[in-house]
Parts: sequence; structure tokens; C-alpha cells
Amino acid sequence: MPSSLLFSINNEGRVHTLSTSGSLWRELPYVGQEFKKLSAVPHFLWALGGDHQVYVYVHGLDIPIRVREESYENERWIPIEGFTSRLLPTDRYHYSSADGTVDRSTDKIRLPSMAWQWEGDWQLELTLMGQPLDHNGWTYAVDFPSQYYPKKQWSSCVRRRLWVRSRRYSAMNSWCAIAPLHKDATTEPFIDISVGGNNVVGADPGTMLVWAVTSHNRVMFRTGVSAKSPEGAKWNSILVPPGCEINQISVGATGLVWASLLDGRALVRIGVTRDSLPGESWVEIRGPVERSRILHISVGTCAVWAVTQDKQVWFRKGVKGEGAGVSEELAAGSGWVEMVGRMSMVSVAANDQVWGVGADDRVIYFRAGVTLADLTGKRWRALHAPQQVSRASSNASLNRDKFHRSCNSLNQRPHSISETTAGIAEWEEQSHSAPTAPTSLPVGEVTGKHFETQLKNPKAWSPVRSVGSVVGTEAHPETDDSIWQADDFGNSSIFYTEDEELCWAELETSWGWVEAGACMLDPSQLPNWFIEANTLHQAELEQPWRLQILDNLKKRVPAVEMYAHYPTAVDTTSWMQSSEARVCLNPANSGSVFIECILQLEWVHTNGVVTILNLEGAATMHQFSVTDITCVQCCSELGCPRLAVHTPHLPPYCIKFQFSSDSQLEEWQTHLIFVCGQVHSIAGKPPEQSLWAVTTLGDIFVSDTVALESSQLQDNSYVQEIDLAGKEVPVSIPIHSGCVPGTELLLTGCVADDVDRVGINLDLHITYKLRHKAYTELENTALHFNPRFTDDIIVRNSMIEGKWGEEERDGNLPIKSGQEFSLKIISGTEEYIIDINGTRYCTYKHRLPPHSVITALIWGKIRPFKFVVKNPQPIINPRDLFWRQLGGHLRRVESCVSGVTWGIGYDHTGWVYNYGWGGSFIGSLDSHNINSMTDSQDYRLYENQRWNPVSGYTSTGLPTDRHMWSDATGKQKRTRDQVKLPSMHWQWVSDWLVDFHVPGGVDREGWQYAMDFPSTYHAIKHFTDYVRRRRWYRRCAIATTGPWQELGHTKLLEVSLETVSDTVDGVVSVWGLAMGGQAMVRLGVTPSSPMGTVWEHVGSDQALSSISSGPYNQVWVIGKNGCAYWRVGITKDKLEGDSWASVEPPAGVQLKQVSVGKVGVWVLDKLGKLYIRKEVTPVFPEGTHWQCITADPPILSSAPNTTGFKQVSAGNREVWAVTDGGVALKRHGICLENPAGTGWNVGISGNWQHICVKAL
Amino acid sequence: MANDREILREIWEGKLPVCFQLDPNEVSELQQPDPFFLMVPRLSYFPLVTDKVRKHFSRYVDSEKQEQDMWLECDGQPVKWHFPIGVVFDLYVGADIQLPWNITVHFDKFPESQIFRFSTKEIVEAHFMACIKEADFLKHRGQVVSSMQKKDHNQLWVGLQNDKFDQFWAVNRKLMETPSDQEHFKYIPFRLYMDDGYKQKLIKPITDDGRRKTLQDLINETLPNHANVKIRTHGMIPPMETPIQWMSEHLSYPDNFLHLCLQI
Repeated sequence: MPSSLLFSINNEGRVHTLSTSGSLWRELPYVGQEFKKLSAVPHFLWALGGDHQVYVYVHGLDIPIRVREESYENERWIPIEGFTSRLLPTDRYHYSSADGTVDRSTDKIRLPSMAWQWEGDWQLELTLMGQPLDHNGWTYAVDFPSQYYPKKQWSSCVRRRLWVRSRRYSAMNSWCAIAPLHKDATTEPFIDISVGGNNVVGADPGTMLVWAVTSHNRVMFRTGVSAKSPEGAKWNSILVPPGCEINQISVGATGLVWASLLDGRALVRIGVTRDSLPGESWVEIRGPVERSRILHISVGTCAVWAVTQDKQVWFRKGVKGEGAGVSEELAAGSGWVEMVGRMSMVSVAANDQVWGVGADDRVIYFRAGVTLADLTGKRWRALHAPQQVSRASSNASLNRDKFHRSCNSLNQRPHSISETTAGIAEWEEQSHSAPTAPTSLPVGEVTGKHFETQLKNPKAWSPVRSVGSVVGTEAHPETDDSIWQADDFGNSSIFYTEDEELCWAELETSWGWVEAGACMLDPSQLPNWFIEANTLHQAELEQPWRLQILDNLKKRVPAVEMYAHYPTAVDTTSWMQSSEARVCLNPANSGSVFIECILQLEWVHTNGVVTILNLEGAATMHQFSVTDITCVQCCSELGCPRLAVHTPHLPPYCIKFQFSSDSQLEEWQTHLIFVCGQVHSIAGKPPEQSLWAVTTLGDIFVSDTVALESSQLQDNSYVQEIDLAGKEVPVSIPIHSGCVPGTELLLTGCVADDVDRVGINLDLHITYKLRHKAYTELENTALHFNPRFTDDIIVRNSMIEGKWGEEERDGNLPIKSGQEFSLKIISGTEEYIIDINGTRYCTYKHRLPPHSVITALIWGKIRPFKFVVKNPQPIINPRDLFWRQLGGHLRRVESCVSGVTWGIGYDHTGWVYNYGWGGSFIGSLDSHNINSMTDSQDYRLYENQRWNPVSGYTSTGLPTDRHMWSDATGKQKRTRDQVKLPSMHWQWVSDWLVDFHVPGGVDREGWQYAMDFPSTYHAIKHFTDYVRRRRWYRRCAIATTGPWQELGHTKLLEVSLETVSDTVDGVVSVWGLAMGGQAMVRLGVTPSSPMGTVWEHVGSDQALSSISSGPYNQVWVIGKNGCAYWRVGITKDKLEGDSWASVEPPAGVQLKQVSVGKVGVWVLDKLGKLYIRKEVTPVFPEGTHWQCITADPPILSSAPNTTGFKQVSAGNREVWAVTDGGVALKRHGICLENPAGTGWNVGISGNWQHICVKAL
Repeated sequence: MANDREILREIWEGKLPVCFQLDPNEVSELQQPDPFFLMVPRLSYFPLVTDKVRKHFSRYVDSEKQEQDMWLECDGQPVKWHFPIGVVFDLYVGADIQLPWNITVHFDKFPESQIFRFSTKEIVEAHFMACIKEADFLKHRGQVVSSMQKKDHNQLWVGLQNDKFDQFWAVNRKLMETPSDQEHFKYIPFRLYMDDGYKQKLIKPITDDGRRKTLQDLINETLPNHANVKIRTHGMIPPMETPIQWMSEHLSYPDNFLHLCLQI
């Protein structure tokens, strides 16, 4: 769980924060305003000021809040005049929204409040669906609601172009005043404020609900509050039943509202749903006791706590947040339960953890032991967090406050603006351009008094002049850090100068308010807020008694080596494991079945054997050594616990086992992984330069070639000896790193007596040409070496795409029939040098790049003895890689040369590899540096319906229709009760819910309509729509462990790492994409500090979908519209660069993913084709054109259901891709002359989802 | 919480070199059998590790005695093998450690009056589980052990038998947790060996004013008349200022008891 914040107000009205990863209260910079009440959701803090006005404080966001305003300029073609802005009366507005229904004149689009700033002027959007338009940006169509094309045609009668302008919320990290209800702010001040509703079922992400109570006992609901509009639009009065005088209100995370009345009763808001955020009606609830009315009430998700006048605490049982919108019973609960302890107020967090302020001692208490099963908890525990007094706090620097105030009164501006003159100029311009009457202001302009500032010059900036005036200072990033981040004492010395030493307030602060709405505290891992427990534990490790015990224990048996020859009583070196299972010995075939068997693993000291016996135990079905195993993977599906064991050199290459339970599966997984680890002597953390991959089940694998490489290394070259004695010819030998210059091939053998022609071919990958929907195979042979004994010559030739070239036939035949021979082929930079029996025979100029050679084919009447490959590069068959599993659950993982590795979970949480190992099912003995980890995933399925004239839409389809409950394609039947959790580590966290966030939009009940099935779906029902569908989802979460550290709040789409400097602990450039597609660069990442410090947002006009950083300071991104861009101006000192430059995508292609490495820029399009950017050089990093690489027949047949590529990763030497069938492929033959390579070497079909070779 | 893995690991790995010798009077063959050397885990029980010993010596004794229960003797006393091996060693050998530990093997004249017969491992298991249950009654009023499933109990036993630290601690961790609303056990399960038996007493891990009790406090409460004593456990002498809550979490034997041997 990332750190989150608890807020509080002390008795002086100053706001303090306490981070769950820290242990000190820190004061928010004081800006001249005291506060009475606080209410918070993560990142958004609402407060009631001492002046009884409402303020909002947005904080801790890595990505600025930006809104892109769009306006389409429409024109119609009129004879003679051409395209003009004069439209037909039936046409849309000259400037309109995308669907033409709303007038969007650019001069009428204004900033909603003073808290917003424009980022530049209106600009034309110059791409359409990723394809570039001309500089005017016009798109043409026959008529308005129609398809638009980039080119003008004879039939184009209308055209339109898109103007865009972005505005930014500039009041980040500062208090922003919300407009009062009346011109005179004192007419109807507020008495309470509450924010919540960040978790309303089915609502748009970012929704927030803000409720307030005024001194006239009116209840106000703020409309339009969301993460994109933190200050909302306007106050709406909500009627309360007559005779009800509300004094306090609280909104829970699911939107449930409780209010306390002056007469002691409480009101509950019924019917808060995504369609009706303010709810429908009130229900009255009796107070817990007659004599004492409710003073304070706080709503969590499934818990409502109240404090009565006599400081007694009450818990409302039976409340259930998720169902509260539709069920009065669940909203109102069933009864009050009296709790011990006297509190002046309580605050319930979204996860139902409870805090309170003691009634007598004014100490903040935490309710210990609150769990889902026991929402009332066990006891109150006092928080003992000292207060850190820093220069940002009021106590320590009174003088600074005075200085600020004088600044304020002098300039009548917040002091942050007065710091630079440039800032003032900019601001004045802003305030003029801002609307004088914002749409959100209910009663026109506001004049009058506000704290301290007397309005003299009406044109000057003042806090109350318009909505969203910035009261506070935009906190300096550094001071900001000191408040929001954990106690990082290593860094804090930078922020505090020496004369302003850190000190801790000695006396206990007296608190007035605590607010837990933004605090997500894991009750099983309490933060260091409870001093007494904390200090003891920390000190324990260093206590003299503990050290003495440890020392004594280590010295117990003196001269232990004397007894080394003693056998141990419990033998753990040899063992045998056996159990019943089901096995599938041909999983590649589609009709594969699992049959009963007995699975045995016998381990003797250093090696083991896996035996599969039939159920009687009589016959061996299959047997292999542990050394044959390269990968052990979980491949469970639909409640069947399954394990795949890959033995790529032993048919059937992959064996799948099915077990009776998850725990049996894990037992075997643990055993197999343990023995594989022993055989491959795996210990400690994987080397920096490793391959990382993630399976579709989220399991993380890492592989390195260090062991393989060192076993091949002989005198600076990599040697592979293949014994061919007894092998049948023709024999084909793979040469996995090609015949790069410097390669030596040595063949020894014996020619038969009755020999006619023999030969050795150095073959390339076959070229496939698609003609008339059928592939033709065109063979490529780099060197055809063909001794012909009848003609007494040796013919040399090459075949390029199926055509033989010119033969070279000079020289005689030094090989005699019936005799032994040795043939040596040395690949030089220009030619092959061929020696026979130790003497130079001839040379042969390269006609095809020698890098691309993939096999040596030996044929004819010949008895080969041995084939030796000596290669300057390691000879690595992608199938030979041993994959080691690390704990955790991720969707993608990215690494770089210096070993810094980041991952992203299915819930888009960022995780950083902490150099540990093990976790998950791997025993704690083989684990190191393990953290707990969670991830969540949605199961989705579709409910399909067809319209018939009698009964309307029903679930009776035509016989030809898809299943009425299906997956997205409609091909697979999927019912809700059929869906099972992937394994025992998963649990459901929601029920089945209708998904209202389906691309294409949905109606109120979540339906999407279409003419017929497989079609495009739309939200509004048309006359011709005969079918409809809606998506259901159910969320499940996994709890696991792994060597990963959670990064922070910002959710990530993608991340890419690149080592910038080669020095020890050199800087790593980390680029990421936030959920909204905003690019960010992470600062301060080095191998010793792999988390880095802070995200810095890098603005872009487009929402982005993929990002990759490579060498030569290259960063490439793919926009959501399918366009490619690269970043100009990146240097070592300026990792964030200057600007984006657009790169035209291949014609008619929408790109999806990009990967940049030393070997080039590789991109993937939405149809599963790969492209490589050609002529990319350090001088012209943008390259010149694209070369397309489609999936060839061998790729398509590598696994069932393969249609193309899913992902590509380009590293320093290698390019790997993953197909949508889950097979990993390595590009072969990449060299300077041919950066695209010539073919794919197929690895194991490991059900892969994502692979990263950036570290290689 | 028992979370000091370094200590737990060290305790678990504690082993003793033992030299088993058959009583010369019982040898029926002409040739004297070779002594049998074995590394035994301190935390285990003799009946669990002496199968090989029995196999080694049984062919040297009279055929009619071969099937009789084997028993062990150390310094003229029968070994009380219902104690963990480490406890037996600390009791008999004490301060003047001489390794390997010499143990005489007998097949005849089983001392019925002094030691139990452990003819099968199931009896050892029953004894072991009884100890765990007793300890949990002291620590948590038996709530943890009774909420466990049979397979958890089995895992404890198999983990100990097969010397699998992870397997054992995966379950034992729950037994070593403190109640959710407290930071210590109710009472500390311990056995203080002296003279020819042991003492047990209900001792709370903290004093009434909330201070953590130390080993010294435990001794003072159990043996009010012994001022300067030393305690030996796991072959070492823990400092008197060690908190007993910590000791119980980290230095307990697998049966969840602290086995403390008094050294006068």
C-alpha cells in the first residue's frame, strides 16, 4: 500500500498532515487562514475556514490537471464561393462540438475559474486517426454527420477542422477559495463541509461528491466536482424534510450521506447511484439515546460512527456502502451499538478504519483491530507522533508569516506571485483574460470583505473577486516534498539550511479535528505512529542481550569442521516426491486430453529425474532429467490447477500436469523450481543484464545467458561442438548467432565409397511472399558448397529468394571418395575462406549477409563425425534459456543495462524491483527482500440480446446468434457462474456489476446497441438496431509476495528505462505514462536508488499509449491516435528534453507500441504487424522510413490462435517479440547493414504476455 | 511476533555430533561393532533420529533381543528421550562440553521405571502435540491451536521430522503471534529443570505496571531462594536481562516451551 495521509487541525486552527510512511506531524504552510473542519479524499482536501467559507486544496498529484477544450470549425461548400462559414439553416453551428449539437465558439469557451490558466492559444489539430493532415487541418465529408477524410474529393460538400486549447488547474498545492453563496460572503456562511463519493459504484473514475451545510440550515450539493474539475461547478440546494435542522453532514466513499439534526435525530440520503449522485430522498433515523443528541457523524464504506453530546461513541450496525444506493435498509443500517471511550469527534476512512479525537485529552486515537469481519475494532490506541517543526510551519518562523502578510498587503497578491516579476506579468494577463462572470458563479460577482484584504482597486487580484482565487502559495516543490513525503532524513538536509535545524515539539499538541478520508491504512501493517511499540522493536536488534545470544549460539559447537564427516540424522540431500496427477503429453495439439498418472520426482544429491507412470505404476509413460527442464510455469485455467514443464530438447517439448488442488500444484511447483535451481546453480539475485518476461497469468520470469555463455567461452570465442557420429544425413545444424565475421565452422567426416554429390549449405531463413492469399516459400542459401565426385569439381553458389546465382567452379576436388576429410569455413568481412584438410582451397565473396545464416545443412553420401562452431558472439538458442520465476504479479516488466527494473501491475500500480528474489510460493529459505503485493483484475463478459417485434429485447437470440452470455468476440460462451478465480490466492472483491465505461458509450442501463452482432456498438438506440449488449465485470484481487517495492499513487500505463551513463551507479532515465496518457520522467533513479524521487510531468498535446527510451537520448512515444513522436533536445543534463516531433506512421497504419534500443526503433501496429524505422542515426534520430515485418507462416504456426505480434522489445543487441499466441521470438541476422534482420528464431511457447530485452 | 529470522535460523540449525556405542556386555558377536557417528538436530527427539543407529547395532546383539525396544544411556543414566535432544544434552553434559557426545545403546533391560517406551513415532507425535497444546493454553488460552486444522498440526510435526524450517514455521508463526489487542502472551510457557525434575509456574510476560519482565524476573518468581544462578538453554547461557516475551517467541523449542536448565 503506498503512503497516504492523515489530516488534522490543532487547537490553533492549523492543518497538519501525517504520512503512513512517516512518523512526524508536519504543518501545512500557513497562509493566513485558520481552519475549523476538514474533509478529504486522496489528493483533494476540502476545508471550512475560520471565516466559514469553503476552500479546496489539491495536492500530491504527479500529473497536472489539464483539460483539453475542443471546438470544431465547420464549413460548407457553396458554388462559386467555395467553402465558406455560411452554413445551411439545418446545419450545425459554425463552431461546434464533435457531434455538432453544442455551440462551441472559441470566444465563448472560457476558464471556469481563476484557478485555471490557459496553456497557449487555440491551435489546429493536424492529424486524423494518426494520419497527418495538411497545414490547414481540414477534413472533408459529403455531409455533416458522416465519415471525414483527409483529402478533398469531388463529392466533398462540407469540411471541418478541430481547434484545441488546453487549460490547466494552477491552484495545485494551494488553498483555493470556493465562491460564497451570495455577494456578501457573510450573508450565508457555511457551517459544515464533507467530501466523499470517490468510490460510487459504476461512476466515472475521478467522481467526487461534496456536501455542505449553511448557517441557514440549507443543505448544499456541489455539482460537477471531479478529478478534472476539483472545484466543481456550483452549489445546488437540496431540500430537507420540514422541521429538520441539519448541523453536520458526512459523505462516505460510496456516496452514502448521513446528517445529524439539531433535535438529535439523523438523516440518511437514499438513492445515491451513478445516475443520481445527489440521491433521491431522505430517511429519518432516531438517535441512539433520548437525552443526548448526535453531535458528529462520520461515514466510511460499511461503517457509520457517531458521537453524541455526552461524548459517547456509537457505531451503526448493518450499513453496507455498496448496496446503499439501492437499498434503504443497507443505507440506514439496523441499530446503534455503544462503544467505549469518550471522543469529541470521529473520522472513518474509506476502508472503515476509525480515528477519533479524545474528548478530554484532545489526543488523536486510532481504533485498533478494525477488520472487515469486526468493524467495531478492539480498543482505542493513542497516536504518538511528534510534530516536526520546520521552516514551513507557523511555530518556527513567525517572522516569515509576517513577511508574507506584508507582502500580501503590499501587492494584494499571494506571495508566490510576487517572487518573480515575470510571474506578475503573466498573472495580470491571466486575470484579465479570465471571465468576469464565470458560469459556475451562482450570483454574479462577489465583492466585500475577506480576511485581511480590503478590496481597493477593483481590477487588482483579490482572493474573493472570483471563484477559485488562490489563497495560498503554490508550494515550492522542495517544501512541498517536506510536507507530503515520508521522513526522509537523508534528503531533508537539502531542504533545511543548517541554521534552521529540525526540532520536534516537546509538548503534546492539543488536537481539534482529525480527518481520515484520504488515509488508506493497512491494519496489519501499522505505521510507526505508536511510539512505544516502535522504539522497542527497532532497538531489539541492537540490544546487547540479543547480540550476546546470537554470538553464543554461533559458538555452540567448537571446531565444527571436525564433525563434517558425520552423517546427518535427517537426510535432506536425497528425496523422492510422488503423487497422483493428470498429464497431457501433447499440449500443442488442440485435442489434447489429460490422463491420470503418477508423477514422481527423485532427487539424489545433485540431479534428479522426473518420471510419469501410468496409474498402476507399472509402465513409464515419459521420463526426463531435471537438467532437461528450462521452464516451469503455472498455466491454470478456469479452476484447473495446471503446470507446464518445458523440455525443449526432448519431445514432446512441453508437458502439462493438472493437479487436484492449488496447494498440490504449488507443492510441485516448489519442488520442481527447487531442483531446477540446484541444477542450474541459481542463487542470489539475477545478473543485471537479464531478460525479463511476464506470462498472461502475471507470473514473472527472468533469464540470463551468463552461465550458458561462460560454458561456451574458449580463448575469446564461443565454441559449440556438435557430435554427429551415427547421425543420419541430411542433417541440419542450427547456427544461432549466424556466421558473423570471425566465425569458424569445422566439419569432419568420411565420404562414402559410392559417392556422387555431397554438400554443405549455409541456409538463411526462408522468405515468404504472400501472393493470392497463399504463401510461397523462397529459399535463401548464403553458401552452397557442393563437391561433385563424378565431375571432379566443387561447385559454389548462392540461392537468393529461390533463384540460383552464378556458379563458381574453378579448382579441383581434394576430397577422395571413401576417405576422411576436414572442411573449415571461416567467415571474413568480405568473403568465406574455405580450407580443406588444412590447406586453403578457395574464397567465396559474400552474396547474402553472413549474419543471417541460421542453419548448416549437410547432405549426400557422407558420414559426418563432428561439427564445431566457433563464434565471436555467444551462441544462444532462445529455446535453451532457463527461466527462473520471481514472486509477484505484474502485467509488464521493463529493465535496463544497469539492472534497474520496474514493473506495472494489472491495476496499473508501479512496482520497483528491490534486487531480492523468491516470494510467492517459493519457500522463504530461497527468498530475500520480499514484500507483500496486491494486484487486481476484472473479469468481463457480455450479455447479448436481440429485439423481436412482440416482446422487445429478450435473451432469445436467433439460432445463428452468439451465446446470450459471451466473451467480447461472441465466440465463447461465458456465464457468470462459470467464471472461477484463477487460483487460491485470488479472492472476489466485488459482485457482478454492469460496466458503464465501455468504449463507444452506454445508455443508462449499460446497454450498447447495434444493427447486428459483430458490429460497432453505440450508446443511443436507433430505429434500425436489432441487437444490444452490455458488459458485466467482477473484480478479483490477488495477495502475493515478491521482491518488489510499491512506487506511489500515480497509476502507470507504461514505463521504459535506459541507462544514461556508464559510470558506477550512473543515472537511469525512466519515462513513464500515467493512466491518462501523460508522459512523465522520473528523476533521481540510479541502481542504488531504483525508486528515484519524483515524477516530472512532460506536457504533450496528445494522450499517449506507449513510450520507450533508447540510447542516443532517444525517446519515442505512440499517441492514442496511433501517431508516433520522438522527443527533441534530450541531453544527459536535461533528461526531459524540449519538445515532441511528429513522425509520420506507415500509410494507413495505426501504431500501438514502440520499443527503442541500440538495434533500432521497432513499433507494433494495432493489427499485429511490426515495423522498423530505417536509417536511424545519432545525427538523424528520427530516421527516414518504415519497413514492415509481417508474421510469417512459421510464426503463425508456432502456437494455436496466433495471428500476429503482441509486443516487441529492442535492446542493445537483440530484438525479441511476443506473438498473440504467447510465443517468444528472437530476431535473427540483425547487423549494421541489415538492422531489420532476416527471420525469427522461435523460443518456447511460454504463454508470454510481455518480454523485455532492454538489458541485453 | 517472532520475526528475528537470524536467531530463529540459528536455533533451528543447532546440531550435535553424537557417538553411539553399543553396550559391550550386549555384544553377542565376536567382533565389536564400530561406533556410529551422527549429527542430530538439537530440536528433534531421539526416537526420530535413531532408526539408523538401531539398524547398525541390531545385528550384533542376540537375535531374541533384536526385536526389543532400544534405549540409550548417558553417564549411567537412561536418556529421557521425551525431552528434545538439546534439552537432554544441556541437562546431562552441562558446562564441561565434550564432543562428540558419547551415548551407549542398549537393547536389554529396558528401565521401565525411569523412562517411557516410545515404540512408535506416533507416541512421540502425541506427546509433542500435547506439549504444543499446553503451551498454547498458557499463551492464548488455547484459541490458536484449537482454530487450526488437522493438516496444520500435521505440518508442524512433518516439518520438525524432516528438518524443514519453512514448513514448520509457516504454521508455528501463528502460534507465536500475540493476541490482536495485546503485544504479549498471557503466560510464558516454560519448564525450569532442576534436580531431577522441572518446575512450571504461571508467569506473565509483563509486570503490573507494564514493564517487560526479564529472565531474572522469571527466576526470581519461580525460585525465590536462588539469587545467583545461571540458566542454560540451547547450549548457551542467555543474559539475565533478556525479556522473557522475546525469549518465548525466539528461543522456544518446537513444542513451544522454553526449556531452561538451571546451572548452580
